[in-house]
Amino acid sequence: MKGNVIKYERDNIDTDVIIPGQYLKVHDYAELALHAMEGLDPDFHSKVKEGDFILSGRNFGCGSSREHAPIALSHSGIKAVLALSFARIFYRNAVDGAFLLPIEIEEDAYSDISEGDEIDINIHTNEIKNITKNKIYKMKPFSEIIGKIIEAGGLFKYKPD
Amino acid sequence: MGKTLFEKIWDAHIVVEKENSPSLIYIDRHLVHEVTSPQAFDGLRMNNRSVRRPDLTIATMDHNVPTNNRTLPILDQTSAVQIQTLEKNCKDFGIQLFDINSPNQGIVHVIGPQLGITLPGSTIVCGDSHTSTHGAFGALAFGIGTSEVEHVLASQTLWLEKPKPFEIIVAGKRKNPHAVTAKDIILSIIKNIGTSGGNGTVIEYRGEGICDLSMEQRMTICNMSIEAGARAGLIAPDEKTFEYLRGRKYTPKNYESLVEYWKDNLKTDSDAKFEKKYTLHIDNIAPQVSWGTNPGMTCDVTESIPSPEDFSNGDQNQKKGAEQALEYMALKPGTPIIEIKIDRVFIGSCTNARLEDLIEASKVVKGRKLSPHVRAMVVPGSQMVKKQAEELGLDKIFTNANFEWRESGCSMCLGMNPDILSPGERCASTSNRNFEGRQGTGGRTHLVSPVMAAAAAIEGHFVDVREMDLN
Repeated sequence: MKGNVIKYERDNIDTDVIIPGQYLKVHDYAELALHAMEGLDPDFHSKVKEGDFILSGRNFGCGSSREHAPIALSHSGIKAVLALSFARIFYRNAVDGAFLLPIEIEEDAYSDISEGDEIDINIHTNEIKNITKNKIYKMKPFSEIIGKIIEAGGLFKYKPD
Repeated sequence: MGKTLFEKIWDAHIVVEKENSPSLIYIDRHLVHEVTSPQAFDGLRMNNRSVRRPDLTIATMDHNVPTNNRTLPILDQTSAVQIQTLEKNCKDFGIQLFDINSPNQGIVHVIGPQLGITLPGSTIVCGDSHTSTHGAFGALAFGIGTSEVEHVLASQTLWLEKPKPFEIIVAGKRKNPHAVTAKDIILSIIKNIGTSGGNGTVIEYRGEGICDLSMEQRMTICNMSIEAGARAGLIAPDEKTFEYLRGRKYTPKNYESLVEYWKDNLKTDSDAKFEKKYTLHIDNIAPQVSWGTNPGMTCDVTESIPSPEDFSNGDQNQKKGAEQALEYMALKPGTPIIEIKIDRVFIGSCTNARLEDLIEASKVVKGRKLSPHVRAMVVPGSQMVKKQAEELGLDKIFTNANFEWRESGCSMCLGMNPDILSPGERCASTSNRNFEGRQGTGGRTHLVSPVMAAAAAIEGHFVDVREMDLN
C-alpha cells in the first residue's frame, strides 16, 4: 500500500478536530469528507489525495465515539493513519467499518518520516518502507483479534474460527 | 488467584471465548440516541434484520435538541431530520423512546440511572463515549461506534478485546467537600495520569475518597474515565448504590434478592491483581481549572498558567502541545488562573447536570447577581432533574441572578445544537472536553466544577471557591 504522508506533529488529535460536532448531522459521506480535519487544518481538504496517509503522535482519535471521524478521513482518500498510539474507540471504529488502517509506529518512524514522503506499508511483514528516504521502519503488528477483523473486511464480515 | 470486579462482570457475560480470538460478550442494556444510530438502523434494514432484544434497548434524543423552547419547531433542518429519523426507527423496530416531549427525556447518561435502567453487574453500551458514567453503579459500561451499535441491535452481543484492570485509589478526605468536588478529583487524576494514561484499561476507583462520594458524584468520576483514555471506569456498588436504585421506574421487581446477590459477588477479591495502579491523595487538593485544549491540561485554581518550557523534559510534542494550546486559548504563561476573565458559563452536560450539581451551584448564586459581562446557562440533565430542581426553587435562584434556566439536553457541551460559543468567547464549563472548537468554532473552554462555574459567573473570573461560604 503506497502513498504520501500528511504529517501532524502533535499528540492528542481528538475527534472534535477530525470532524467538528456541527457535522455529525451530515449523512452524506462525501459531504462529511469536505470537513475532515477542519478543526485543525482548514487546508486539509485541498491538499489530501486519494491514497494518502496521516502521520501523527500519541493518542490519535481521543474523545468521542463518533464513527464520522474515520469515515470523514476515509472518504477524503486517507487509507491509513500512522500514530505513536491510538485512542481505543477510534481504533475500533476504523477497523470495524473497514474505513482505514490504524497503524501503530515507533519513535524512529515518527521522527524520520516527513510531510510529503512516499511510503509503502506492508501489513504482512509489518514494515514501512520510506521510498523517498530509502529507509525501512518496523510497525507494531495488529493483535490477532484486530488482524482477523481487518482480514475479514470489517466487523460484519468477521466470522469466528 | 482472585478476580477484580471488572473481570467478574466480564466473565459473567462471555458467550464465546477462545484463546487468541476476540471474546463475544453479551450486552444487558443498549442505550440509543439520535446521532450515532441512523446508519445502524439503515444497516439492519438493508440486511433485513430485526432488533434482537428491543426490550433491552432504550432510546432518547439529547445531542441535537434545542434547550430554549420545546413548543417551537426545530429550526435546524438537519437536526429535525435526525430527531424524526430516531422516532421512525424506534417505531419501526419496537424500541421504547423517550422523545422530546417525554417527562423522561434527558441526556442518555442522566436518564439511565434515574430510571433504574442502569444496574450493578450489568454490561451497558451506547454510541457515546461518556457511557462510562454508568460504571458508578458497578456496571461495565462503555462507548461504541455506529458499526458496533448495529452489531448490538442485531445480536445483543459484541466482539471485544479484553481490557486490563487499572486500580485508582482515591485516598483521604477532602477538607472542604463543597468547594473541592468530584469534578476536582477526576480532573486531578487526569492531570496526573494523562489523557492516554488509561488506554486499554478499565479503571476501578477505590478508597475512602470514593466511598465518601454520593452516587451522583461517583457518576461525575466515572463519566470522565474516557478522558483518561480508559475503556470504562467503575466503582463497586455499596449501600448508597442499592438505595439510589430502589423504587425507580424500571427497577426490577425482584430487586431485593438481586441486592443480596450483588453484595456477595460484586467486589474485587483481596488477592486480585491489577495491571496498573495509581493513588491520588485528596486531603489537600485544590479546586481545578483546565487551561489548555485537553482535560489533562489542568491546574489548581491557586496556580498560574504554566510555561511550555515546563513540559520540555525530553518530549517535544508535549511542549509543542502546550504552545499550541496557549495560542488557541489566548493565554500567557504566568497569568494567575484567578485573573482569567470569562464571557460565558455553562452548567450542564452528562458530567455535571444532576440535581446535586445544581443544588451546589445554587448555593453560590443565591442572593447574588451574574457579572454584567457574563452570559450564563443552566441546563438540567433531564426533564426529571429540571422538575425536581424547580420543586426546590432552584430555577428562581438562578433566574433571579440573571442566569438562563433551560430545557434538558447536551446543550453547549458539544457544539451540535444552537447552544454554542462564538469565536473567541471564553467559557467556564462543567462539561468534560476542552478540545479546540468543541463548544463552537473558535470557542475557548475551561473545565471546572459546578461550584466554580457558578462563582466565575458571579465574579466574572475564576476564584478560589474554598474561600466562599458554601454551607
